[in-house]
This record gives sequence, structure tokens and C-alpha cells, in this order.
Amino acid sequence: METMQFDVLTISGAVLLIATFGIVATRGFMDWLNAYRYQSIVLSGVTAIIGYVTGIWEIYIAAGLTLVIKSIIIPKVLTYVTRKLEIEFKLETNPYVSIRASVIISALLVALSYFLIQQIPFKSDQIVNAYLPVSMAQFFIGLFVLVNRRTVLSQVVGLLIIENGLFLFAMALTHGVSLLIEVGIFVDILVGILISSILLFRISRTFDSLDVGKLENLRDD
Amino acid sequence: MDSLISNLTILFLLLPPIVGAGLVTVLKKKRTIGIITICTASLILVQVLLLVSKIVSEKTITAFGNTFYVDSLSAVILLSVSVVGFVAALYSKNYMGRQYDNGTVDDKHIVRYYQGFNVFLLTMLVVPIANNLGIMWVTVEATTLVSVLLIMLYFKENAIEAAWKYLIIATVGLSFALIGTVFFYYANINANTSEDAMNWTGMVHDAKHFDPNLVKIAFVFILVGFGTKAGLAPMHTWLPDAHSEAPTPVSAILSGVLLNCAFYGIIRFHIVSSASIGPEFSSQLLIILAVVSIGIAAASIYFQKDMKRMLAYSSVEHMGLISLGIGFGGLFGIYGAILQIVNHAMAKPLMFFASGSVNQKYEAKAMSKIKGIIRVMPVTGILFLIGGLALVGMPPFNVFLSEFMILSSGFKSGQFIATSLVILFLVITFAVFLRHLLKMIFGNPLSEMKKGEMGKLAIIPMAILCSLVVIFGIFIPAQLQTLIHNASTIISGGGFA
Repeated sequence: METMQFDVLTISGAVLLIATFGIVATRGFMDWLNAYRYQSIVLSGVTAIIGYVTGIWEIYIAAGLTLVIKSIIIPKVLTYVTRKLEIEFKLETNPYVSIRASVIISALLVALSYFLIQQIPFKSDQIVNAYLPVSMAQFFIGLFVLVNRRTVLSQVVGLLIIENGLFLFAMALTHGVSLLIEVGIFVDILVGILISSILLFRISRTFDSLDVGKLENLRDD
Repeated sequence: MDSLISNLTILFLLLPPIVGAGLVTVLKKKRTIGIITICTASLILVQVLLLVSKIVSEKTITAFGNTFYVDSLSAVILLSVSVVGFVAALYSKNYMGRQYDNGTVDDKHIVRYYQGFNVFLLTMLVVPIANNLGIMWVTVEATTLVSVLLIMLYFKENAIEAAWKYLIIATVGLSFALIGTVFFYYANINANTSEDAMNWTGMVHDAKHFDPNLVKIAFVFILVGFGTKAGLAPMHTWLPDAHSEAPTPVSAILSGVLLNCAFYGIIRFHIVSSASIGPEFSSQLLIILAVVSIGIAAASIYFQKDMKRMLAYSSVEHMGLISLGIGFGGLFGIYGAILQIVNHAMAKPLMFFASGSVNQKYEAKAMSKIKGIIRVMPVTGILFLIGGLALVGMPPFNVFLSEFMILSSGFKSGQFIATSLVILFLVITFAVFLRHLLKMIFGNPLSEMKKGEMGKLAIIPMAILCSLVVIFGIFIPAQLQTLIHNASTIISGGGFA
């Protein structure tokens, strides 16, 4: 039983990482959204597993919220606001680091997060061992996507990955901060995504591009 | 019975902005919603003044179980939020009216502006009184979202760019703060199993049993996170954009109090970390960031061409000074830092209001195009001059006193290198800022301009702030002195006054 549980934990963590790599390795916005949706469904499953292992019922609610908000509402909203955007805006054609190199860097980031987590004195705990490095890796890869890609859309996706990482981090380490706060965090994300989609639309109209490189009117010189 | 009263106190404090936002949404008439917002802001101001006088005598108030906790430190922040909120509401009426008249905004935007303004005040009122650090994080993130909405009110390219950068950088920054918060929470649930492991009071209480390594990592995350929001260099890059592109009253709030609110988060965790592993670790980090911030601010002000961006960098400098004071420690340095929080909240909005009026008159933000303010608009010119002199720390105005306290505590605590560097940077800032300022205020206007102010409601808020700046330079009311003293003892004495 013990080992089977361990396997479930490890495999679900690995699946999360694969979904994250799915975002790193693709160029199109719709691919990112699909990978994100897939990642969120797995995340919700992982949350439910944490709920099962720890036996705290509130975690199941968080899992349900994750499923509804992250795998249904957010992708729907983003698909809806970007439907009018021209197709060329939705493709990452020119990242700062090539896709191939990005995958390698992401792999290094995963290794780095496993290394870092080992340095920190945590109480030994199956869940912490299995998911904490994964959450850190998601956080780092999200940051990497955010700075590496040039389209505004991929910055949104980067934020979403970071946020998933954070959620898993809080879940794995403390088995959920209280439900009230989690709802607050969910509302913050949702509103943040809504605002960023309004901004996305305005940027595409005003600048006639979604290239972050075009956003450099404001300078000190 | 007592707790019922404090519950009601908190409830009534938070009620006006909620009701105000609702009324703005329903009524929609340009004149009325301006007045409603002034009413909500003044209601908040009156209640905060009452609350603060209560805090001076009773030191702490808790409400709704342990969800809200108000002590002298929160009271200082509440005070700055309410005063700046009030003057900004006054100033908004005139400013947004003019923006409406010249066609920059339409009816829909005015309604959105006042809704945002009320909600913005609400979120900033919750930050300092939330005992639960998770709630504090959620409301700090909410301030980001609301202020992004307020910045993107204008459809200009620059405003959109500023809003985008602000949203992304602040959100990513705050995600670090959330990790830090979760680390502290984890340290606390490992140390004990009490109910309020997420509450600040609970953390301070059990801080001695925290794992020291965990606390160090956690504090670094907190410092990066809330430091981003507080505009500490090198995470300050969003700040000059956002502060210069927002509508002027919003710039004043962003600069004058939102930075304070974010810094308040750092202070709270600094207290926990000090109670756990002693103040050396966090103080050292605060001093390093402070010196970097003040240095970068000096360099950026030196090369600055835009009036509002210059003011924004001056905010980076002031946040650096606050961080320096807290880092140097000792009752004197911390007292100076808290006083600096208060002084900054008076001087910076004054400067932003003045620059907003100048901007509307000259229709320019580039300093090279602004000359002879004192001839075109004499009253605003004088207020701008006094505000500027106060900002760079010229005696006898208020900022001088707090800067002096911070720097002398630096020598006292033996931080000679940091203090001398900061003095060097401050001298540079002083000279350059004054040169920019005097060039704008004196001289002849570049083109023929009609003499005249921007209206009474633009002058009154500035006059209020200016009189505060002058008065606080000479003497500080006894009640406020007690309050600041209590707040300093909270920081230096491990959490409780």
C-alpha cells in the first residue's frame, strides 16, 4: 500500500511536469492553453490526492475550485478574448532563446529545483518529497517562459504556470492555507486574468502587435 | 461588549468605501459621484482619527475573533491612507472634471474612475489591519489589480504599456511574497499547533521556535516580493512607468501610501524574523537594498527629463530611506523610519498634485518645456517649491527631521560605509533635484501663457498637505509622537508595545 501510494504521488508529479514542458515546447497560443488545461486537470487530481492522504476535507473543495476555475473558466475566457486576434499574434515565432534550448533550460531548472529543495530543512513527508520540487520547477519554468517569450500572450501563460506552481507549493507544504484565503487567491487570479485579457486586447489594437519588444515607449532617456 | 464595539469600529471603517462604490455605480452623474467619493473619504478620515486616538490610549484592538488586529504600526499606515485618500478625493473632483472637459475621459470612464478609487481605498484600509497574513497578501494583490484598472483608464499607448508592465511585474513579485508567507506559515505549524498559525500575532508569539534556516529563506522571498511592490531597487522598474502614467490623484495615492502599505508587509515579517533569529539577518538585507535603491534613484534623477518620473524615483529614494532606518535599528533609527513613512505620505502627494496642475496647464510633462511656473500660476508655484524643498530634505521641513534621525542612527550603529554612501547619494539627489525644480519654477515661460490657477479645489488639497509639511517640520503633535514611539517599540521590541 505504502509503495503504491508513493507511485501515485511520483507519477502524478511527473505528469504535471510533462504538461509544463508541453507549454515550453510549443509555439501556438492554443497549444499553450490546451497544455494549461491538461495541467490544471492533473493539478486538481493531485490536490484531491493530497486531500485523500491527509484526510482534510477542505482540500477537496480547493480541488473542485481548481478544476472549475483553471481548467474550464480561465481557458474559456482566454479563448473568448483572443478569438478576434489575428493568427499571427498568437504564434511565438521569435523567442529570445530557441524552443530547443528552452526545453534543455527547463530540464536544468527541474534539476535545480530538486537540488534546492534538498537544501531546505523540511520534515520528511511523502507529499512534500513528491510535490515540492515539482511545484518549484513549475515556478521557475513559469518565470522562464515569462522572460523568454516575446508575445504578450505568452506572458499571461507564464503567469498562469507560476500560479499553478504556487498553488501546488502551498498545498504540498502546508496542506492548504485556510479555505477563505484560497478563495481569495482564486478571486485574485481570476480578476487578474480578466484584467490582463482586457489589456491584451487594447495592446493589440493600440500597438497593432503583441510583441513585448514594442512596449518600450517609457524610458528614462 | 468590548469586542462588539471593536467589531463595529472595524465594520464602520470598511463600510464607507463599499457603500461609496455602490452609490457611484448606481448614480452615475459626474457631479454627484465626485461628491460621494469626497464624503466616503472624509468619513474614513474621521473614523481613522477616532481609531488612532483610541490606539494611542489602548495600544491594540482586535476584532472578529483574531481576524483584525490594529496596533500602533497599523495605525500609522491607516493614518497615511486616510489623509492621502481624503486630499486625493478632493483633488480628483477638479482634476477629473478638467480631464472630462478637454475630452480625455468620458462619462463611462469617470464612473469607472470613482468606482476604482473607492475600492482602492477599501483594499488599502484592509492591508494594515489584517492580522491573518494570508488575507494581507490577498488584499495587497487586490491593490495591484485595482490600481492597474485605474492606470488603464486612459486609452493612451503609454498608459497601456505602464499598466501591463505593472500588472506583470507586481504579480510575479507578489508570488514570491506568497511563497515567503507560506514558508513562515510552515515554520509556525511545525513549531506549534495552535489555531492561529497564519496570524501575525501567533507567529510573533511562537517565533522563537521557528527553524532558523527556514526563516532566512522565507524572509528573502518576502523581501523580494513585497520589495517589488514597495519599489525597492532593483525590483522598482515598474514604478516610474506606473506612477507617471496614472491619473494624478491615483499617482499621489500609489506613491504616497500604496508603497507604504507594501513596505508595511516587509516590516511585519521583519518583526517575526527578528523575534526568531535576531534582527541582524533581515536588517543587513534591508540596508543593502536601501543603499542600492537610494543610489539608483540618485542616478535616475540625475538623467531625468520627465517631471512625474523624477517624482517617482524620489519615491524609490524615500522607500530606500525607510528601509535604511528599519535596517539600522535602534529606537532612534526606527522612529526616524516611521516618521519618514508619515512625512513621505504628506510631501509626495503634494508634489504629485502640483505636478498634475502644472501638467494640465502646460500640457507637457517634459521638464524642458516647463518654465516659469511661479509667473503663470503663483500659488501652485510656491506650493511646488515648498514640496520640492521638503522632498529633498531641506530644513526646516518635515523630511529633514526623519532623514537626520535615520542617518545619525546609522553612525550610532556603526554602519559607516552604508551611511556615507547614502549621504553621498542624497547630496547628489539634493543638488540635481533642486536644479530641475528651480529651472521649472523660475524663468520665463517658453510661450505666452494665460496667468491663472487650476481652480480652488486643486489648491485646497495642496494647501492642506503643505501646511502639514511645514508644521511637522517644526513640531509633531504629542499624540502622534506617542503613536510613532509605540510603533517603534513594536518593531525594536519584538512585536508588542
